[in-house]
Amino acid sequence: MPVAWPEKDDEELLALIQHGSQEAFSVLVQRHTERFYRLAYRYLQSKETAEDVVQDAFVKLWEDPGKWQAERNNKFTTWFYRVVVNLCLDWQKKKKPLELGDQELSIADDRDTPDSAMIHAQEQKILEKEIAALPERQRTALNLCFDEGLSNHEAAEVMGLKLKALQSLVMRAKTTLKERLKNYL
Amino acid sequence: MATHPKEKIDEMLDARRIQPASPDLAQRIILKAQMIPQIQVFSLARWIKQTFAELHLPNPAYVLAGTLMMGFVVGLNVPADTVTDNADAVQALSFVDPDEGLL
Repeated sequence: MPVAWPEKDDEELLALIQHGSQEAFSVLVQRHTERFYRLAYRYLQSKETAEDVVQDAFVKLWEDPGKWQAERNNKFTTWFYRVVVNLCLDWQKKKKPLELGDQELSIADDRDTPDSAMIHAQEQKILEKEIAALPERQRTALNLCFDEGLSNHEAAEVMGLKLKALQSLVMRAKTTLKERLKNYL
Repeated sequence: MATHPKEKIDEMLDARRIQPASPDLAQRIILKAQMIPQIQVFSLARWIKQTFAELHLPNPAYVLAGTLMMGFVVGLNVPADTVTDNADAVQALSFVDPDEGLL
């Protein structure tokens, strides 16, 4: 009987990957690449770097799938969010502080008029710069909480915090951003 | 009930734009992984766990298997030259009154 790969949950796939199943790995990668790329992009603001980080995370998982242990980590995604966040932070520590060039201006929404697109792009550029300047934990809380694929409870679990503590970090981050961006708000 | 308008900062955070990933990113990851061998670390605990998981045994089977293994371990650790000696029993009897005998 053929294996119904899409019906298998992440934890089942990981058990198969631990036995060397490339098919299970392919299904897991195709299922989650986009979501982890989005997270990495929020940190790194570079398509190439975000893709490299996600690739690195998945390849490491393939190399040593025993790193994920079902009894310690209830959910694969919660654990893997942590892996990707750590890789992004490592990358940022190794590299120079984030410098946003003209490239970001080109990702403005096509539906905007040229003027409003320019304003949006400029606002976004400044917002990203200020987010990059936030303390590490506040930045992580913000990036996780504004990821549409993650609930606040899951975000708190990824950071190993209580929900209240996470909300407090987000609140502090937003207060700092509001202060720094008051000319634009 | 009036709802608070969404703050501008929330709108800006929601609207953070993300450059889409390359359409072939997942495929690239899969191809890269195919070229890399998996690290095979033998762990006795993991092997036992996997064996039991594959056999789908009920919980009492784990208890029985554990007890048997403990029995083997204890049995194998008893020195081979251990012999029962009546000397201890004789010494103990010397404290007992002659009319009490063995209980």
